[in-house]
Amino acid sequence: MNRKILIAFLFVAIPTFGADSQWVLQQSTLTYHVSHPLHQTDGVSHTAKGKGVCHAGECDFLIAVPVKSFDSGDSNRDLHMLQVTRGAEFPIVTVRTRLPESAAASATINADLEIQFAGQTAQYKQVPFKLEKQDGETHITGTIPATLSDFKIDPPSLLTMPVKNDIPVRVDMIWRQQ
Amino acid sequence: MLRQIFRNRHSGVPGLAFWVCLSVAFAPFLMAQTAGMGTLMGRVIDTSGNAVTNATVTATSVDNGRMRSATTGPDGTYKLDMAPGNYRVKLEAIGFKTVEIPSVTVSGTETAVLDEKLKMEEQSTGKPTPAQQDNLPNAPSSSTTAPSLSDLGLSPEQTRGNPQEQALLDKRTHMLKIHQRMGLITTIPLIATVVTSLNAGGKSEGTASRDLHVALGALTGDLYGITAYYAIRAPRIPGTKKRGPIKFHEAMAWIHGPGMILTPILGAMAFSQKNNGEKVHGIAQAHGPVAIVTAGTFGAALLSVSVKF
Repeated sequence: MNRKILIAFLFVAIPTFGADSQWVLQQSTLTYHVSHPLHQTDGVSHTAKGKGVCHAGECDFLIAVPVKSFDSGDSNRDLHMLQVTRGAEFPIVTVRTRLPESAAASATINADLEIQFAGQTAQYKQVPFKLEKQDGETHITGTIPATLSDFKIDPPSLLTMPVKNDIPVRVDMIWRQQ
Repeated sequence: MLRQIFRNRHSGVPGLAFWVCLSVAFAPFLMAQTAGMGTLMGRVIDTSGNAVTNATVTATSVDNGRMRSATTGPDGTYKLDMAPGNYRVKLEAIGFKTVEIPSVTVSGTETAVLDEKLKMEEQSTGKPTPAQQDNLPNAPSSSTTAPSLSDLGLSPEQTRGNPQEQALLDKRTHMLKIHQRMGLITTIPLIATVVTSLNAGGKSEGTASRDLHVALGALTGDLYGITAYYAIRAPRIPGTKKRGPIKFHEAMAWIHGPGMILTPILGAMAFSQKNNGEKVHGIAQAHGPVAIVTAGTFGAALLSVSVKF
């Protein structure tokens, strides 16, 4: 009898303790915006890769995107961007965050982000993101208030006029839980 | 004829202005050449004394955060040329523990030598260390489930830095910055040349305005030559497909480039004819139209990369 209870307990308990789930980034559009007195430029990347691993109610997320993958519509500008951001030396931008598993059910989340870019690490606290659930997928949108000085990047200049320090990054991602 | 123009250039105020402008234009480059540079070099070996190849040595300036990187060669040696100062040096190689030296002083007179021994990594998972885990946002956790770059399917080749490519990009940007500045400087005598052309030709009989026009034109041509040099000599980055306004900018160069050669030749012919009391005739009559097309395409090239249409 006791053995039967034990086996029944194990059948119930195993799925609970081993209930680690994963999130996989399905689609993404990351857009940085640069302001210059003569130009307003957006650089777009669709090649981010991301994964979230959930354990004991907490999910660790990692998103990585090659610096080279950002396209501003001008190859000369993109090469210049690659140079000022030390993109050949540090080819990948990574974003790490940890969120409670329950956050997936919310309409908005405030995430603390740790971003590694251009050989520097910057932390962004309580960045708001909007969540929408659709067909088993979670659509996340938001803007990371990044600046060039956060990553010790000298503002590039055109016609001796430097670009603004603010380079907000718009995030538009679709995640699927597995 | 050309000798006469050159002699005229040296004989009066326009000639003096030409040399002053040229000296001012070259001053930053001459100063840059004389600035002292230091060197950091050394050899990276493993605990058995064997050379570690492809180790990345990164020196970060404590003063301004600027970074310089080099990769060790087959004999484990590396060399970094950098400005004198204090540097934090990091040595990384796949399969070895990363070593960080908090302070290395590089002087402008002596070569700093930094030899380092790397220990083998026990087991690399690519995942954050406990210290890194603590730094992760939203409360510390003892979780070891954080995904790594390899979990995302990124290979070490994709995530590893390429200091050679970075050096190429740095050189390219440096040269194109000079190209850009020189292009801007060139527009000043270019506009002045166009403006003075109004009194230089036609029925004007005076020689002073013609001499000024010639001097300004010569200065424009020289500065244009320097501008073009820095664009032509800027290194190309392999695997880059040109797109956007830069294509138009480069296409314009195929017009204003030959124009900048043709304009002074035709101008010299017109100058000679006017000095001989003749009316400008023959192919020299094309000097004005060719100059206008050249100046116009030069302006269009400048605007194409400056203003978004």
